[in-house]
Amino acid sequence: MAQCFALIGWSLPVIESMQKLDKPFVVVSFSDFEPYAKENNIPFVAYKFDEWSDTSNSIDLAEKLKPYNVDVAVPLYEETVEWAGALNSIYRNDPRVLNRAFLFRNKAMMKRKALVGGLRVGLFEEVHNKEQVRQFMERLNQANLQLENEEDSWVHIKPFAAAGTVGHRLLRSKQDIEDKVEDTDFPCLAESHLSGKEFSCEAFVHKGKIRFLNITEYVKLGYSNFIPEGNYLASKRPLILKKMQQLVDIFGIEYGMIHPEWFLTENDELGFGEVACRIPGGHILELASKAYGFDALAAFVQCHDPSLTDEEVDALFPPKDFKPENHYGNVMIYPHKNVINSLVIPEELNEDPYFLDHTLIPPYAGQKIDSREGFGNHFGTVNFKGPDPDRMTELLLHYENVDFYV
Amino acid sequence: MIETLEKGYENFNISLEEYKSAGVTLRKEKAQKLISQVDLLSKTKKGIEHLFKKSLEIEAAGIFAENAWNDPEKLSPALVKGTLKAGHPSSTYELLSELRMLAYAKKKKGGIHKISPADAEAYLEEVLVHNLEFAFQEFTEETRLAMAPQEIKKVQNLFNLLLAESGLQGIKDKLAEEIRLICEQRPVVTRKVREMIQLVSSKMELDPEKESDKLLLFYVDAINSPTPLSKKFPDPDQYEQAINKLTGKKLEEEVTTLAASMRETGLANPYIALMLRKLAAGKTALIPKALRLNKRGEAEWGKHQPFVLKLIEEIVNIDSFQCIYGLAKVLEKSLLSRNAVKASLNNLRSVNINDHVAERILKCQTKPRVNVTAKQYLIAATIRVLGQPLGVGQGNNSTCQSARGISMWSQHSPAKLVNMIITVAAQDNLILRFENADLESMKLVKGLVDQLDYNLDAVSAVLVPHLDKIYSEMMRRASGRFEDPHKWVNPAMYGHWIQIGFASAYSYLTNSIQDFKGFTRLFYATFNPEYNGGREMVYPNPVGIFVTTNRGAMIGFHAVSLLRIAKDQEGNLRAYFLNPNNEGRQNWGQGIEPAVFGHQEKHGESSLPFYQFAARVYAFHFNSLETKDYVDSVPATEVEKVEKLARESWGKAYTWSELKKIW
Repeated sequence: MAQCFALIGWSLPVIESMQKLDKPFVVVSFSDFEPYAKENNIPFVAYKFDEWSDTSNSIDLAEKLKPYNVDVAVPLYEETVEWAGALNSIYRNDPRVLNRAFLFRNKAMMKRKALVGGLRVGLFEEVHNKEQVRQFMERLNQANLQLENEEDSWVHIKPFAAAGTVGHRLLRSKQDIEDKVEDTDFPCLAESHLSGKEFSCEAFVHKGKIRFLNITEYVKLGYSNFIPEGNYLASKRPLILKKMQQLVDIFGIEYGMIHPEWFLTENDELGFGEVACRIPGGHILELASKAYGFDALAAFVQCHDPSLTDEEVDALFPPKDFKPENHYGNVMIYPHKNVINSLVIPEELNEDPYFLDHTLIPPYAGQKIDSREGFGNHFGTVNFKGPDPDRMTELLLHYENVDFYV
Repeated sequence: MIETLEKGYENFNISLEEYKSAGVTLRKEKAQKLISQVDLLSKTKKGIEHLFKKSLEIEAAGIFAENAWNDPEKLSPALVKGTLKAGHPSSTYELLSELRMLAYAKKKKGGIHKISPADAEAYLEEVLVHNLEFAFQEFTEETRLAMAPQEIKKVQNLFNLLLAESGLQGIKDKLAEEIRLICEQRPVVTRKVREMIQLVSSKMELDPEKESDKLLLFYVDAINSPTPLSKKFPDPDQYEQAINKLTGKKLEEEVTTLAASMRETGLANPYIALMLRKLAAGKTALIPKALRLNKRGEAEWGKHQPFVLKLIEEIVNIDSFQCIYGLAKVLEKSLLSRNAVKASLNNLRSVNINDHVAERILKCQTKPRVNVTAKQYLIAATIRVLGQPLGVGQGNNSTCQSARGISMWSQHSPAKLVNMIITVAAQDNLILRFENADLESMKLVKGLVDQLDYNLDAVSAVLVPHLDKIYSEMMRRASGRFEDPHKWVNPAMYGHWIQIGFASAYSYLTNSIQDFKGFTRLFYATFNPEYNGGREMVYPNPVGIFVTTNRGAMIGFHAVSLLRIAKDQEGNLRAYFLNPNNEGRQNWGQGIEPAVFGHQEKHGESSLPFYQFAARVYAFHFNSLETKDYVDSVPATEVEKVEKLARESWGKAYTWSELKKIW
């Protein structure tokens, strides 16, 4: 049993889960959170994650954590993955743990590793300027045997190290390269478009084996998802589990949770998108907790603890044969207008038996809405619960287009 | 829907359990979810009953712990309507708070506050009185526009439950009291009180044998059937035929009854308009009786008959009758004997009204009639404002400054006011001078209000947008001088009636309340006849006050006009003042409760014992040459009494400095 978990990054839901578990922990985050932590008796160490120097580094941080007897570090955010990796390298006396963390933080390295290991990935390349993106698209067009006047092949560009959809741009034509790409986007990863149905998985790993697999059905990326997955994806579970274990093996993941994105083609082939090892966005673990009736955040943290026995690990998760009765889904709500004045909950939502609750916040009168970066700040989520995944899909698609703010 | 509901209970109960078990860190988010389910349940009758049953449990779980509803004793019934109209989540918290109060009133178990059932019930009764449109489900157009249908449904469910649980009987006394309080202030705009009375009349069973019902019936009759004849012939045409048949004693009786109803309530009605027009067409001798004029009014009528008859002919009709009360008051004030007033009123009759101004005038009529023009409405409103200067109000606008100005000019410079009305009506523009600069309202950008609420009299609708802009510009120019800008703005805005000397308890330099003892001494030496050489106040004094809650906690600043200082029937010295927000009855804590009648207030005045008023003042004007001689005669005990009240209320919001100041 771990002596003390260091939670790297500030997350109230995780803190609360840990308090309920009554396991020793300490939060490491920016000093901005210190007063709140103090006020609420949350063990806290302030650290500058954005600085790497003689006085700000993992060895120094490990020293600062000694009084707490920390022996397991848990990354909560994309930006803290290396820090946690470095600490765990020290705690486990294994330098490769840190290298593995870098895998998650450099999307080009990540793809290369996946490719070498035999996963299906798109064509990809590191690019440093617009010209290289043009050349990449050109070569892709050639490979796809483009004829004159046919459309260009789609290209995605994304930063090497950013969470989820932040900085992600889809370029459908050479004109898009001119219009959508900024010089500040470089260097970054360019890759061909993977077709197929996109979804994500959350695999809780202990001693290199997947101990629990959640599949999250994306209804629309960045807007809505639900858990457990719908009928079609559920029928592919054995295939998905096989590929997931392959991914774990290739990356050499021993402890923690990974959250990859996959593309499932009609020929039952799985294309690898990317993978993260922090808490996924979109309230995914919250939905998983409700659907499967366990505390996914507590399980996430404890999976990082090498000292747990198999029985202790099994006890973190629902029984192997557990079948959730209901699907839990949510849709994030973004205002549709540029200037909004009030929140209006539509009557049809109130009358829908699948409607559970919402966290929508009222705007102030005349509030202006900024354009979206990544998927920007949503105004809250609407949550649904119900037995039929097809109805769930319908609802989520529908409410994505309903304007809650007028 | 049934299915939805059952799932709703289940989800709600799960959510409530989750909320209860959440630690401090996640409370906020869980509260959001829980309150969204409260919103959902409140849309049905069954749902709201379920919420009522659970209300104390939800409260005990801490849903109000960190918001404005936390302490039931601090809740203000007058604020409920605004919150209910504000939409989810505010309206949902408000609704839940009412349900919890109902649970306290019904002595349900599980409450965490010590509020007594009687207090909770009294609170809910006040809420009903302030929200008659919800209670009676007769929504005003304004409410319909402001609220989503879902929200209306929710509020309807709430009030249905409140009424089913507590009934209307209990609120009759409060309603009667509320209506009386408003009428005693003789407001220029009578829309709100008429709506209340109309609702009472259409929705309540009133029994003339019962004491509490008698007063309500009196007001209902005043607007609907002031005489037995009008009760018999409520249709105006039929009533007109009926009075045409009246002669001699019968006619005189009808005239007297009509007049009594109007003079005792301040509310006119279509029947008195019909009667007045009939009298003007041939029985002019009865007109003083129809207005129930006093001796001075009668003399004035004798002197200006032709002009008054012309006015009656031009502005009085069944769609424009409230001005009759104003006309009676104008005559009793002998305003027509002031040549400037009569001449300017005559000019107003021939003015060409600017289109934009006409639009504003028509906007403030409940139902603009085709046969009444904007000009007729404007002249009628001018007569009302001249006759009832203390009845001028700011409506739902933050323009207390402008309302105070209109009221003051109406009292002390009526011709100036009418001329101002003429200028703006024709030009939709106004010029005032501030420190050698001409401020032309049309060229100024912004005032305090962006969108005027048109629950106003037509004079205010015409003038306020301009006065407001000019006032804001003056404030802009006078700010940054390390002193309250009102020191310069008040005399420039209101005119030479305002003294140049200016005292403020707040010091901009030290950001503290400085030398409050000296300030209070100066206040006494300026206004209190026992210490100022026995002088009376001559002109209204624009005074800045701290408004406080019923617990004495600071709310904010407000502008009132101090009008006069006098002893009431019991010999207590009182300050009489105009509060332009028309909220005469308030509770400012520490037992400080402004009264609007019962202490020899004139209609429209508010009053407080002198020392209590002094304990809420932070700024006033004074004559810096004369007051000095009297300052030292103010006894220390009196000053200490005031300071104690101040320090223990709004004073807590400031640091205090004893540093002496030269006043």
